[in-house]
Amino acid sequence: MSNVANVLGKFDVSIAELVKKYQAEGKKMIGVSPIHMPVEMVYASGMIPMGLWGGSGEVSAAKEYFPAFYCSIVQRVMEMSLTGQLDCLSGIMVSIQCDSLKALGQNIRRAVGDKIPYIHVAMAQNRKLECGVDFNETQYRKVKNQLEEIKGDFFSDEDIEKAIKLYNKSKKLMQEFVAVAADYPQIITPSKRSQVLTIANYMDRAEYVELLEELIAELKKEEVKPWDGKKIVTTGIMTSLPSLNEILEENKLAIVEDEVAEESRQFRTLVDEDTDNPIRALAKYLGDIEGCSVMYDADKLRSDMIIEKVKKSGADGVLYVQTKFCDPEEFDYPIFKKALENAGIKMVMIEVDQQMTNFEQARTSLQTFAEML
Amino acid sequence: MDKIYTLGIDIGSTSSKCVVMADGSDVVSSAIIEKGAGTDGVDIVLEKALGDAGITMDDIKMTISTGYGRKSYNGDKDMSELSCHAKGGAYIFGEVATIIDIGGQDAKVLRLDKNGQLQNFVMNDKCAAGTGRFLEVMANVLHVDLNEFGEYDAQATERTPISSTCTVFAESEVISCLANNADVKNIIKGIHYSVASRVAGQAKRVGVVPPVVMTGGVSRNSGVVRALEEELDTSIAVSEDSQLAGAIGAAIYAYESYLKNK
Repeated sequence: MSNVANVLGKFDVSIAELVKKYQAEGKKMIGVSPIHMPVEMVYASGMIPMGLWGGSGEVSAAKEYFPAFYCSIVQRVMEMSLTGQLDCLSGIMVSIQCDSLKALGQNIRRAVGDKIPYIHVAMAQNRKLECGVDFNETQYRKVKNQLEEIKGDFFSDEDIEKAIKLYNKSKKLMQEFVAVAADYPQIITPSKRSQVLTIANYMDRAEYVELLEELIAELKKEEVKPWDGKKIVTTGIMTSLPSLNEILEENKLAIVEDEVAEESRQFRTLVDEDTDNPIRALAKYLGDIEGCSVMYDADKLRSDMIIEKVKKSGADGVLYVQTKFCDPEEFDYPIFKKALENAGIKMVMIEVDQQMTNFEQARTSLQTFAEML
Repeated sequence: MDKIYTLGIDIGSTSSKCVVMADGSDVVSSAIIEKGAGTDGVDIVLEKALGDAGITMDDIKMTISTGYGRKSYNGDKDMSELSCHAKGGAYIFGEVATIIDIGGQDAKVLRLDKNGQLQNFVMNDKCAAGTGRFLEVMANVLHVDLNEFGEYDAQATERTPISSTCTVFAESEVISCLANNADVKNIIKGIHYSVASRVAGQAKRVGVVPPVVMTGGVSRNSGVVRALEEELDTSIAVSEDSQLAGAIGAAIYAYESYLKNK
């Protein structure tokens, strides 16, 4: 009898449950804003990095800090910090990759900085230049000092190297999972896929690696069956909205690849291993990232990367999930749309935010897209 | 040989439409009522269309529902209104490259390829501006029957500028214009340009390629059609059956689906 459902069930764990578990184990947690953050250093310190993606829900208290037309991830994270939902954290780490995140860091520091230590992660825009790597390394050394202060303990380069290797291992496994899952759309539905990939942002990475290895092994035992729906590649900041995934399932749209910040953008690039300076390796990693809307990308490689993913995966089209009021994604869209049209690849764009309760327009768009494909 | 009857039901947000089709090519009967999703509108149009055709549900081989309320009708299948408007638009107008469909709460622009297949589309944001609902709100403020908007527009001497950003702001603009004794006909012309500029912006995102046609309930408003023609610098064809495009498309899809699964 198939054991896949049983293993998949292990990924179906709420963030609240994980928080309770880590608290019971006496582990400190550090909130980490999106994206490409030095989570390896957090892990090396003996603390658990917890993604700050905002979850779903209303925004009320955060309206004091942000106007209505603002990134919903940022608004939700601010809301959580103001309503005590982040009090379980021993620190909050925020980067500056977009204008919204810059304001989030400042507001969090101002609003809750006295009870939750704030760790500012400045990143050089010219991340590929040697001086950019120097700058990022300097910043990361400051981050390390703050983490040591919070933990009350020193951690070494060896600890960071070990964490880099663990995270690289998980990244390779996640890449493998994405490839294997594409063969089993009947089992790995968009909801399940999202659950497996996004829980990595909250779960102890060593535990996650074990679970994912088990899942991939179990999946491979399953018979590959023909798929009578369509296959798509998703792109955007986040797609882990239950209603969105339900609509994809209703319309038999299987995700065979993604280029989503909350998912594969975080695991498609590895950090250099076995260097004599693991902190610099983490700084260099920022320069190695390609095609991400929130990282300065003079060559605008994202479109080509997605076209390549479509060709490799045999996808029928692309779903562009635009997080409302996300400037970096909006700037990329016209370039992206033109490139896909030129390549003859069908695409649809839908707008989402974390306060959405009515998905009827998205439902109509996605049903039309499925019918069009 | 017996005819194959199929049914297309378009349950919109403010109106329900029903079409009985024979052999996927002839509209046998149709019905429209200004009662949309969540009302008994669908039952009324269904009864009327079947009655006019002189048949019963037992004679219908397949039914496809479409429109905002498509999931609420227990037919054989449901399809999105965009696919159905593309199909129905091609049926009504023949050669079509761009369809502008403005309904009660949605505005959509569809691009069709040479074979009449839907190639690309864009929908309005979650906002009433640029939709039939916007016009309804304005009709209430002005106390003018929406069906007369086209005639008022034709008699306007100039256009009073009205915002296209937000229905609520536009409503207060209209009230201000009334307070300043602006001519109602000119205000209505301004309202039509407000809708047209919003929808034209959408249309340009998918590219406007002639022949351009208009479907959906708002196509009955000649003022909006004129304003859109000016905004897009192209002629726009409308038909008496424009509002039925979704239901016709659904009935044709029902026929094709019946043949495929027979």
